[in-house]
Amino acid sequence: MGTENPKHPTYQLRPAATPFAAPQSATPFVSSGPVVGSEASAFRPAPPSSQIPTPPFSSGPLVGLEAPAPGYRPPSLGRSNEIVRPPPPPPSSLANGPPLTGPFQRFPAPQFTTTGQVPAPHTFGQPAVLPPTRPPGGAISSPPVSLQPYPQPSPISMGSSPQNIKTGQSSMSFPPSSDQPFSPPRPNVQPSSPPMGPSYPIARGNFQPPFPGYASLQPNTVAQAPGQPDSFSSQHGGYGPPAPQIPFLAQQRGYMPVPPVPPVSAPTGLYARDQMQHYGIAPPIATSQGLAEDFNSLSLGSVPGSFNTGLDPAALPRPLEGDVEPKSFAEMYPMNCSSRYLRLTTSGIPNSQSLASRWHVPLGAVVCPLAEAPDGEEVPIVNFATTGIIRCRRCRTYVNPYVTFADHGRKWRCNICSFLNDVPGDYFAHLDASGRRVDLDQRPELTKGSVEFIAPAEYMVRPPMPPSYIFLIDASISAVKSGMLEVVAQTIKSCLDNLPGYPRTQIGFITFDSTIHFYNMKSSLMQPQMMVVSDLDDIFIPLPDDLLVNLSESRNVVDAFLDSLPSMFKGSMNVESAFGPALKAAFMVMSQLGGKLLIFQNTLPSLGAGRLRLRGDDIRVYGTDKEHALRLPEDPFYKQMAADFTKYQIAVNLYAFSDKYTDVASLGTLAKYTGGQVYYYPSFQSTIHGEKLRHELTRDLTRETAWEAVMRIRCGKGVRFTSYHGNFMLRSTDLIALPAVDCDKAYAAQLSLEETLLTTQSVYFQVALLYTSSSGERRIRVHTAEAPVVADLGEMYRLADTGAIISLFSRLAIEKTLSYKLEEARNAIQLRIVKALREYRNLYAVQHRLSGRMIYPESLKFLPLYGLALCKSTPLRGGYADVQLDERCAAGFTMMALPVKNLLKLLYPSLFRVDDHLLETEEFHNILKKRLPLTSGSLDTSGLYIYDDGFRFVIWFGMSLLPGIARNLLGEDFAADYSMVTLSEHDNDMSRKLMRILKKPAVLIAILTGFYNYTDKSNKKRNILFHDPDDSIDSRQPPVMVN
Amino acid sequence: MEWVLWLIFFIMNLLLMAANIYQLICLADLEADYLNPYELASRMNAVIVPEFLLHGAFCILFLVTGHWFMFLLTLLPAYYNAKKYLARQHLIDVTEVFRVLNAEKKARIFKLGFYIVFFVLVITRLAFSVINAVFDEDDDLAITKVPWYLMLWFALEAMPR
Repeated sequence: MGTENPKHPTYQLRPAATPFAAPQSATPFVSSGPVVGSEASAFRPAPPSSQIPTPPFSSGPLVGLEAPAPGYRPPSLGRSNEIVRPPPPPPSSLANGPPLTGPFQRFPAPQFTTTGQVPAPHTFGQPAVLPPTRPPGGAISSPPVSLQPYPQPSPISMGSSPQNIKTGQSSMSFPPSSDQPFSPPRPNVQPSSPPMGPSYPIARGNFQPPFPGYASLQPNTVAQAPGQPDSFSSQHGGYGPPAPQIPFLAQQRGYMPVPPVPPVSAPTGLYARDQMQHYGIAPPIATSQGLAEDFNSLSLGSVPGSFNTGLDPAALPRPLEGDVEPKSFAEMYPMNCSSRYLRLTTSGIPNSQSLASRWHVPLGAVVCPLAEAPDGEEVPIVNFATTGIIRCRRCRTYVNPYVTFADHGRKWRCNICSFLNDVPGDYFAHLDASGRRVDLDQRPELTKGSVEFIAPAEYMVRPPMPPSYIFLIDASISAVKSGMLEVVAQTIKSCLDNLPGYPRTQIGFITFDSTIHFYNMKSSLMQPQMMVVSDLDDIFIPLPDDLLVNLSESRNVVDAFLDSLPSMFKGSMNVESAFGPALKAAFMVMSQLGGKLLIFQNTLPSLGAGRLRLRGDDIRVYGTDKEHALRLPEDPFYKQMAADFTKYQIAVNLYAFSDKYTDVASLGTLAKYTGGQVYYYPSFQSTIHGEKLRHELTRDLTRETAWEAVMRIRCGKGVRFTSYHGNFMLRSTDLIALPAVDCDKAYAAQLSLEETLLTTQSVYFQVALLYTSSSGERRIRVHTAEAPVVADLGEMYRLADTGAIISLFSRLAIEKTLSYKLEEARNAIQLRIVKALREYRNLYAVQHRLSGRMIYPESLKFLPLYGLALCKSTPLRGGYADVQLDERCAAGFTMMALPVKNLLKLLYPSLFRVDDHLLETEEFHNILKKRLPLTSGSLDTSGLYIYDDGFRFVIWFGMSLLPGIARNLLGEDFAADYSMVTLSEHDNDMSRKLMRILKKPAVLIAILTGFYNYTDKSNKKRNILFHDPDDSIDSRQPPVMVN
Repeated sequence: MEWVLWLIFFIMNLLLMAANIYQLICLADLEADYLNPYELASRMNAVIVPEFLLHGAFCILFLVTGHWFMFLLTLLPAYYNAKKYLARQHLIDVTEVFRVLNAEKKARIFKLGFYIVFFVLVITRLAFSVINAVFDEDDDLAITKVPWYLMLWFALEAMPR
């Protein structure tokens, strides 16, 4: 980069280490921090002579990144954000940037997109002379020089370019020598620089660039009070090279070889040598890197004399990239199944119970066996027709890529229990010289982590069932009035062609109010015949057959029925609901076959068995020890029914619509124990919520579904799954019964160590899902994964997966609300997060003298944020007044089933500004990339925003939005009350564009979207964003800050 | 005829122990996957309420026959049972069996231990009442006047060390 900078032609390389090396070793870097900081004192004028000699070095690839100014926040804040990286190498080494000499590269500006960037052009190495703020364009690099003045920042900057990063990191690791900031060779310049302004930016600039691989760095940045001495000094020390940041394994593995750069700096010091090695060879030298742990830190102290807390909200880490799966781990074990299917809370399994107990986060896995695979990555199907399915004789593990063959291919060793099995004759293949089977490439089950076996007859208790759907529809007055009946009938009708399993699909309908209505759909009829049963105490089925009919044969009758359904009950004045008896009737109809029962429920069950009463009216109960009882099913009838449903392979999906209390807590158990789902539309009005219902119901009916399934997770010796969390019922200690599964369901399990010490190198997990596909085939889907056993707590943290942890936390917390107060459930999460981070801090803080700041591993940088978001999520938020009881319960049931990605999106929804796009100044796909942080600060009253949590869109019209836009989007009535508006496509470009945006993410997200409009007219802004984690962050610090 | 009374106590105690052991076996079977939760629930739930009733009768019988100390002892499990019953948590919940498995087992093991202690008490009392009865029939030995606990003490004293 140096070359690029015209301005700094003069850069000199240092004779790398030499100058520094010895003498100052301890103080090599002065962090730019000092500059930043107001403290002048920090700077020492040029240190001893040693530094002086600075041979002109040119290269500075390391350094030089320029951050484009855009994001930059005015320094005026008084705090600078900085990232502290622990300085890896011992002080002695002067890590000088020099080694870094990378090729000069210019970093593309985009990388810096991060918010707080300063145009920090300077790389440290540069002659101090540089104008503090550089025009964004030029990339500066004067790496070699880096030693000097601002060594610290430089490393970071490097991060921006991948290559550089690596090199930089390794080499860069700076000596933490925090205490003695020394001024770089060009001390003069710096000191001179005004504390805040220019210098400041510099420091920042460097930090900002997000590593590509990584989520943005910014988050890491810490707000720092310039004035504080403590923090200040710590910074110095703190700045480490970014190296640690390489996510996960990188450190251990060593840096990738960097394009050969001549070691600019002579390897004088130890340090230098290390560096050389790293970059030159890329050896994974773990030892030398002992210090290079990847953690980031945040300083939290407040500035004396200021009113602010020391926390700069803009500097907090934010998951604007969405869920980032730990990729490096997948690369390490290419034969593992994709993280779509199985995610471990940490991929490093602790080798002893004592280690496990120091890891305060739950140890476990989140499994989504049928996750949707992108095109080209479908799970291969294997048919073992001739040999039978190959499984371990002892532990019943399915054959997988990690089994090893022995005895010339005649035996295979199970990777889970180490048992030596015979290879069946038909499956035999010779081994080549390296012990691999010669037919390996034709055997997907031996190369892929996920495969599907066609199951032979021994895996069936009965012939595979056809997909069958029974609709149990409330026909009382409120159902008719709200328009629910109409929307449901229309939607079902439109989905008939897309129901899975044609032509075997079975379908049936039952409606109920104070009586139960059955419909004879026999194919020979022209019109369905309605039969009414009013004896609720002794339910019987009026017809043995023809209530559940083959869809393709009776299609005409079904169509006729759905057409007439809304009008059939038009004049109904019935306010009663015989829900319990109707449920029993549905059970009797379905018990022969199983299938899916969709319940549309509008009125609190009031007749017959399963009658429910109004609960939750008594405000005095809230906040007492009895509060949780409101979240538990009141009547054991529903639990019993749910158990029976599961036994007969019936899955229940509940759609509840009531505008009054409808006891979702009781009704939801039906879905909970049958692997179903709860959809809740409070105060349903077809004009407002119709679209959402249509979308959700369509997806429910048409997504690929697996029937009569059971799932088991096996794992290697020494570890055991102890508890399972999600919507399902356990059939035996480890067998999960799932009458129906689809891609939107995930299940979590907790692990525990059975033995005090694990002696194996790695632990294997195998998820096996035995199911009937819609096409009527019995299949076994097998996902296999390997995870290393580690002896080091730091390694566990490095391999942690925030998404899985949060998913498990949310399930534990929701379960906890069923037996404790909300507050206790929230506290439990916070406590565990705090404990986990404190443990991590104890690992590193002392050795790096990072007192007064929070440090956290890269892998968990979003944990506090998501933890906070979780505490503010619907099931856990606030007290009784904050969320309706029904809504809380429904959200709880929903979150218990969500896959990791959807959960994270729900917890931290995306927010886009779209008015620019509508005005055609910006490209469509750019918008989706620009997620905004969820703070009220990101809302501008002249903007139009879309807020998307995966379940609904909220469109926010700023108060001073151009009226033209609103008119185009909403039609002529735009000035009316926004909360009542419906958004539909109007005949103009702008409106079409908006609708296109709304559809696009809907596809990406895969779950449903409803349309709500709000405006800030009535001060609703706060309401919308109320549960967004970041909002109000100023007044309330994230839990973790406690430390 | 006191021994008849003690015989009744003895039989009741045996039944209670049997009920508990049966439940423990069911739970163990479930764990070993010999039983599925549905069968387990139907089997255990069939036993639980009769067991509670029997224990109640056991308890009240002590009260009405004036065995204060024994009554107080039986009050502990009776209280536990009543509490569970009133909270409607006495029956096994099919859907959540595995979650409560360990707690249920522990509770039953404690109860079983309790009944074993009772068993010892009841059987000694039974033995002494039988002895008393036998001696009563034979002649008027002074032994009838000796309270049972003194007899027990004498018996222990007489044992070879």
